[in-house]
Order: sequence, then structure tokens, then C-alpha cells
Amino acid sequence: MTRQDPPWKVVRSFALAGHGRLVHLHNVSGGVLAGDRLALNVEVAAGAAAQITTTGATRLYRHRAGARDSEQSARFSLGDGALLEYLPDAVIPYAGSRHVQKTEIRLGRGAALFWWEVLAPGRLAAGERFAFERLRVETGIYAGERPVLRENFLLEPGRKDLSAMPRMFEYSHLASLCAVAEGRPAAFWRALEDRWNEIARGRTRPGQTVWGASALVSDGAIVRGMSMSGRLIHEALLEFRSAARLAVTGEDAAPPRKIY
Amino acid sequence: MMPMGQTAFLRLLQLADSALPIGGAAHSFGLETLADEGVLTPEDVETFLSAYLEEGGALEAAFVRRSWRGGDLQAFSGELSARKVARESREASLKLGRRFAELVNGMLGCSLLETKLHYPIAFGAAGAALGVPVDAVALAYLNQSVAGLVSACQRLMPLGQAAASGILWNLKPAMARASLSEEALCFSPYAELASMRHGSIETRLFIS
Repeated sequence: MTRQDPPWKVVRSFALAGHGRLVHLHNVSGGVLAGDRLALNVEVAAGAAAQITTTGATRLYRHRAGARDSEQSARFSLGDGALLEYLPDAVIPYAGSRHVQKTEIRLGRGAALFWWEVLAPGRLAAGERFAFERLRVETGIYAGERPVLRENFLLEPGRKDLSAMPRMFEYSHLASLCAVAEGRPAAFWRALEDRWNEIARGRTRPGQTVWGASALVSDGAIVRGMSMSGRLIHEALLEFRSAARLAVTGEDAAPPRKIY
Repeated sequence: MMPMGQTAFLRLLQLADSALPIGGAAHSFGLETLADEGVLTPEDVETFLSAYLEEGGALEAAFVRRSWRGGDLQAFSGELSARKVARESREASLKLGRRFAELVNGMLGCSLLETKLHYPIAFGAAGAALGVPVDAVALAYLNQSVAGLVSACQRLMPLGQAAASGILWNLKPAMARASLSEEALCFSPYAELASMRHGSIETRLFIS
């Protein structure tokens, strides 16, 4: 770690069983406030392995009149043969928040990535459900120069009903797990898609939680889930992650030690 | 909207005909999953497609427009592939794009269009080559796209001809709004999941 500025703090790394280091990212301010500009730049050197998680959910606080929308950008660069697991806690947009989230991940030759993200609807216990003002998300994953996954969406619940069927329908939580390994053939990802869909069928309970998986255009696969509960999301993500790790690296590995 | 010549107008009508022989009738783009589970019913179709137009429709219209203006069509297609995460729908779009390009090239007697492009990109490029104004091209693309989805719904549920016509008629303002999209934004996770899960249905009428 070459630089850290408040409110980010990098908790010291821990050795992972086998190979690599576990790092916790901590936002000492407790959340993201109006006008905040947070930037995360990570380079995983060739052949190195890193597991990065957070110490808690990313809380997006209510927007303050006159301030700019908060913004968090994360850029990851994986050297040849590097392995990165980026497993942050959920993003919770509080009522009245306005936020931009940008993520860019670039993989070198033979590099591998496991990345999940969970979007909560707000502080459900406080009666918040899609009460945020605005959330813009831009994501790009590239294997070399090839775009593997691109997402660009704008959520404004006051303007477009998130409960519309093509969007969130009756569900409150949205999760994704991407497994990417530069250079693996299409047949490999079809096999992972099939394995993940086998798990997805077992975990799908329409009206409660629904999962589906797909090979991406190249070099990867994605599993998506929608649920009425954050707890149901994380149980499933752990199983999907385990299956993907086994397929891609030949070995399973412990997830970050925390209560999900 | 800029005026267009009579020949260009008639050719646009032909290319935007839902009966164009490119295999569109074989694809539901995940609607079959929703119908199979009883989630999508005849009463929901219009509301569903209205929201679809705001998301997936707007995304595809943005790519039609981008392609109409020219540039690296293969790069546009690569980007759209990265945005279409559901494999069946992605492959369907490429298949339709290939058959559309082959049909147009055959009618023109020359290799005007590349054959490895997503359907909205091939459509946009064809519209430009035929001298059709961009607004009309984007509108026509969305009209035929939605007509195809409504037709799929007629095969999946008790949706009669008159009701289907009424849905298409009522969706015209939503099509018009979506057709103007220039920015490639899209949020439709439940529809996307339906496409991802389509392969798990026991008996399928559609390829996607």
C-alpha cells in the first residue's frame, strides 16, 4: 500500500491460507457524504493474489442542498497471472442520497477476478425502500482490451418506478457475482454457467429469491440474484463463489471471515 | 423529422416489417420464462413493455443512432455484447443481426453490411446507407422490436389480435420517447434474469 488518505484506511493485510493477502478497506467517516469524492486505485502485481473486502456496508447518506452528488470510483489493474477477489459489503443508499459509483477492472494475460456487489434498497428497518434520490452506476471489466462486462444505469426512484417488472419487480435486493479469467475458452464459461444455474435452480424461490447465471461475451461469467432479504443473498453468493473458485483455480478458499 | 424519399420510406417499412425473414419469431428474449411462471399475464404486457422501452429499448435505440452516424461498428457491437449479459438474448441479437445483414446484402447485390454485428447496429447502419433519417430508423427499429415481443406474448398467453393491436397502438408514445435516447443506460435486472433462466424451462417454444 503506497498511499492512503482519509476517510479511507487500509487495515493491515493478513496472510491467506496457501497464497495471497487479505486486506480490509475501512471508511473511518462511517459513510459517504454529499460532496465526497472517494477514489480507490489497486494494482495487483503479476503473479500476486489479493482478497479485498470492507469492514462494513457502504452507507450513502442523504444529500445536502448545494453540494455535489457524492462519488466513489474504484480502479483495479491485475498484472499477468494475478488473482483478485474483491468482495465488498453491500451498498445501502439512504433516503435522499445522491451518488455516483464507477468501477473499472482491467485484467492482464491469465489474470483472474472474483467480484461481487450487493445493492440494498435502503434502511429497511427504518422503513426505507428505494427512498434515495439518485444512484448512477458505471462498471467496466476488460480482459486486455476486450470489454467483458459493461454496465451503465441511472436509478431515480421518484421518476422511474423501480418496482416495474423489468426492473426490481417485487424484490428489494440485487446482487451480482462475476468470475473472469483472461484467456479461458468459451466452453469453460458455458460449463460454469451450467454449474451455476444448477445451484441457482436449487436456491430460487419465486417471490422470495431468484437467481440466474450466464456466460459473458468472453473470458467470464456472471450470476445475478434478486431477493426480499439480504441474508438470503449472502448465503447464495458464498456457494456461487466457492463453485467458481474451484472451477477457475482448482481450489476453494475461505471467504473473508465475517458475519453475513 | 427530416423528410425522406418515397423509395427510402418504402424500404424502411419493409426492413421494419415483423415478418422480415430473419428468424425474429423464434425469440422471446426471456418473456417465455415470465409467462411460464405466471408472472407476466395479458393484463401486464403493456405496462411491462412500457418499462422495457425505457430501459432495453432506449439502450438499443442509442446503438441504432450511434451506428447510423458511422464509425467502428465492430467496436460498437463488442460494447453492446458486453452490455447484454444474458447469453441467450445476446446470441439472439447477433443471430438476427447476421441474418438481417445477409438479407440486405442479398437484396442490394453487394456486401454493404458486416455480418457479425448486433441487430440494432446492423439496422442503424442499413438505415444510414439507404438514406433514411436517423429518427425514423430508430423509431422503426423499436416498433418492429416491440411488435415482435407482442407477437411472442400472443403465442405464450391468451392475448387476442385486437388486444395485441391495442397494446402496440398505446405504446407508440413510449416508443417515440425511447427512440430519442443517445446515452446507453439500461437497468432491467428482472427481465435480464428471465433471459438467463430461460434455459431452465422444461418445454420451450422459443430459442431465447
